[in-house]
Amino acid sequence: MDWPEKIVSVLKANDICSISFVPDAVIGKILTIAEKDPYFHVTTLAREEEGIGIITGEYCGGRYGVLMMQSAGLGNCVNALASLAIPYQIPFLMFISQRGELGEFNACHMVMGKAIRGILDAMGIQHYTLDREESVDLILNGAIKTAYSSDQPVAIILSTALVGWKDEK
Amino acid sequence: MINRLEATRYLVQQLTDEPVIASCGNPKFDLYTAAGEREANFYMWNSMGMASSIGLGLAMARPDKKVIVLDGDGAILMNLNSLTTAASKSPSNLVHIIWDNGQYQITGGQPTHTSGKADLESIARGAGFHKVSTVDTMAAFKEALSQILSEPGPWFLVAKTDSAGAPGRPPKSPVHIKNQFMKGLSVKGERQ
Repeated sequence: MDWPEKIVSVLKANDICSISFVPDAVIGKILTIAEKDPYFHVTTLAREEEGIGIITGEYCGGRYGVLMMQSAGLGNCVNALASLAIPYQIPFLMFISQRGELGEFNACHMVMGKAIRGILDAMGIQHYTLDREESVDLILNGAIKTAYSSDQPVAIILSTALVGWKDEK
Repeated sequence: MINRLEATRYLVQQLTDEPVIASCGNPKFDLYTAAGEREANFYMWNSMGMASSIGLGLAMARPDKKVIVLDGDGAILMNLNSLTTAASKSPSNLVHIIWDNGQYQITGGQPTHTSGKADLESIARGAGFHKVSTVDTMAAFKEALSQILSEPGPWFLVAKTDSAGAPGRPPKSPVHIKNQFMKGLSVKGERQ
């Protein structure tokens, strides 16, 4: 299995059936696989912050979800994480496709890309980086366990070292 | 003009175990004053604008329950994009009620854009909701609610309200609120 297949497979093995997302090319590779499987409920968000609310509602109703977005989207989620998911103790994984690191061509993605770990640290959100295909299973299973035993969101950062970068000059 | 507490009291009298999500600001004070003893009430202490998204998530996860969102005009103006997501998913069990008094009541009554040119009913239609209406009397609210609770949605109802306050204050602990709410939905918090 390659990394998108591994991610989808670990989610399913952990009863996580709902994916809320704002797409980018990286997230798109995961969605292409998940959308073929009727097990998954996939919701396109107009803005990433909605996903924090949707996952909160789903969790209270007994369904588990993940949020998938690009690093820019974390900026749109900060208040909902700080004032809803963290204080109400809503566990879930956020997959953040990181711009602004290896291979970036666009200066307007650099600042948020570099800021995501600092933002997560400032809110006390644990984060783990996927940069090698062989560690995907270990990190995801571990992060899911940590999220649901602490009732807190946990972030998974998808590094361009694993997922590649946009081929633009 | 509708008195928001009176309308909230009337609404909860019509309910059995339907989950109700009350936005930050006054909707949660009214809901707690009207029905503080209900387990299936979710009180938001912040995350302004998120009520509509929480309601959508719950409605999608629990098609067996009619999900009621009590929102404010200021709050929904902060998350208008969520209306396009809700209309796109269109869960038939979603009921989104806006208490629209044209002001940020909790911060001193500064006007919102619905006191000027913005029309939430038109915005909801434009987002893709079909079952949309606006009411400004208690009689019209009761009539609309009767239809909402007996027919499939999703529903979007704008109720023009006054800005009277309610004395009730829900518990301050977010975790307590969540646990009570999940108990009301018969969902166990522990998963592993």
